Amino acid sequence: MWLDFPIYASVAILCWLAASGLFLSSGKKMMNQLAAGLSFAGTAFLLVFIIILWQHIQRPPMRTLGETRLWYAIFMSGIGLISYLRWKFKWLVSYSLGLAMVFLIINLQHPETYDKTLMPALQSPWFIPHVIVYIFAYAMLGASSLVAFRNLFFAPTDKIVKGPIQMADNLVYLGFSFLTLGLLFGALWAKEAWGHYWTWDPKETWAFITWMFYLVYIHYRFRHPSEHKRAMGVLAVAFVVLLICWFGVNYLPSAQNSVHVYSE
Amino acid sequence: MSDKSTRKTWTQPWSYREGTIVTVAILLLGFVIQAAAAGIVLRVAAFPWNLVAGLIFLALLISTFVIWQKHPVIKWLGGVKAALPAILGFTFLVLLMGFVKQDVESKSALVRTLGLTHLVKTWPFILINLYLMILLGAVTLKRLSPFTMKNAGFFLNHFGLFVVLFSTALGSSDMRQATMNCYENEIEHNGLDVSGKPIEFPFEIKLLNFNIDEFRPKVTIVDNQSGQIVEQKGKVQYEVLDRNALDLYNYQLEVEQFLGTSGKVGEAYVSSNEPGSAPSAKVKMTNKDDGTIISGWICSGSYANHSEALKLSDQYSLVMLPAEPRKFSSELSIQTESGKQVTTTIEVNRPFHIDGWTIYQLSYNTEMGRWSDLSVLELVCDPWLPVVYFGIFLMMGGAAFLFITGKPKNGGTDYVA
Repeated sequence: MWLDFPIYASVAILCWLAASGLFLSSGKKMMNQLAAGLSFAGTAFLLVFIIILWQHIQRPPMRTLGETRLWYAIFMSGIGLISYLRWKFKWLVSYSLGLAMVFLIINLQHPETYDKTLMPALQSPWFIPHVIVYIFAYAMLGASSLVAFRNLFFAPTDKIVKGPIQMADNLVYLGFSFLTLGLLFGALWAKEAWGHYWTWDPKETWAFITWMFYLVYIHYRFRHPSEHKRAMGVLAVAFVVLLICWFGVNYLPSAQNSVHVYSE
Repeated sequence: MSDKSTRKTWTQPWSYREGTIVTVAILLLGFVIQAAAAGIVLRVAAFPWNLVAGLIFLALLISTFVIWQKHPVIKWLGGVKAALPAILGFTFLVLLMGFVKQDVESKSALVRTLGLTHLVKTWPFILINLYLMILLGAVTLKRLSPFTMKNAGFFLNHFGLFVVLFSTALGSSDMRQATMNCYENEIEHNGLDVSGKPIEFPFEIKLLNFNIDEFRPKVTIVDNQSGQIVEQKGKVQYEVLDRNALDLYNYQLEVEQFLGTSGKVGEAYVSSNEPGSAPSAKVKMTNKDDGTIISGWICSGSYANHSEALKLSDQYSLVMLPAEPRKFSSELSIQTESGKQVTTTIEVNRPFHIDGWTIYQLSYNTEMGRWSDLSVLELVCDPWLPVVYFGIFLMMGGAAFLFITGKPKNGGTDYVA
């Protein structure tokens, strides 16, 4: 087990639970500020943990699925909070904290070692920017999909409010720009490491499919700014594809020989 | 995607219906040709013919646009209503690649006929790529005027992708790729390409030295009966032997002595530099439940020496796993036909460029591990790479624009035909 991870994770989860509770129950300004503070505290705790982990294992903690989930929890909670400060949608910050908690709980159930080994292919200046940019994009796009899921399944009536959708668009544009950069960084890195920038390895194939689905969303919204329901459907499906790319590829029979599935 | 209007198909203005029909027709046509040609695919010829073909394509694209830019079909080609079905059609093919294992021989006659296990090299893939290039070209030309800041991000994204698709398609036939097996102190002239054909290079390579730096090995506990690693929920399955005391399952492990390369003499291990010598450690295992102590040697073994496990009980044993490489590198002396003589060291992620070729560290004799005298190199010559990189950098600029400007106000309806 990562040393002390259960302690850091529990503190973060408690902070976030309290923050979500306050956000959802109270309308008072003071309470909202307290909630924002608590949500930030949870994220900060995890940041401290990841810095300690980084120093301890003497390599960037970005190699295993569990490590990427940790970054995701940090980014997701951070993006939720920043979106709240910017757009004031309290449900979004609660949803993102909920999603971040799910990833922490998965990590608690799948303990990992302080594994210091790092295969030579990953020892590259591209390693950190590639993974960070990607996980950040995943978190942005995850937040945008929360908007989609809310609108599809929990919206009170058929009428969808314009505000959240504009926020979803902003998140998608930011997320997609990072996704594109992550993909291109990956291509430049692959050229340095293996001699080809694109080999249609299963992970690459799924990363490309993910990119295409968000491309569909962007083009559809671009041409039909008022067809909300269908756009939200595309956004929800795109997130499912993203999850297949991130986790699902490990289980696909077509991907058993992939050169870059995350190690467990 | 259907039209709400009662417009007849193929009457102007064209919409998603026509876009879908064209895309599906291209895919169907592709699969029909694929089946009819029995897997034979038209490849772009090598230089200079690929350049000529590319220039003709560009000339046709530009002149068609300039002459008929007011024609509704050309406008439609540069719009979302043609693009979305095309993107979905391409996504469909890539999804097939995502689910059907690629680059294997399939037993199913249907899969073989349609080329589903080699989709990148099939007609539908090539045709849909060509169609996407036409659409990207049309939309780029359409948005060139007026060339405003607002259009710059749009231009970078679409033209960047166009350049990438265009240059990879044309450049594929000029790309040469080979692997070369180099043994220490021997001179190599030739490599083998993917199909096993020998390839000559404008230089010869002598491997001066192959070197591996390893991580400390990992230890774990296995079941004596099955030989499998014991799984225990909530506990880690292995630890790296890089410290003197660590916890493993319900044992406290203490390292009394660690030897990076060693051989067995009598009952104990001593440091050794003989080829095939392996890491070993003398450890003390304390059972945390009942306090019993067992100590002894463990060794990961090698191609030349047996491994050694430490029996903890009737059921379990402690074993050392083979060390993993931290870094492997080859010191090369390269003599070119042009008379240059270079000595360099390459490693993974640190290739070397010479006379149009790039030399990569690929592999070694993994069975022999650190004692390997073989270094496998990969050599790639990709003359179109600068053009591909130009496209990639345009797309990076486009991504930066997306980040800075975000979604256009009022969607994009201001711009659409």
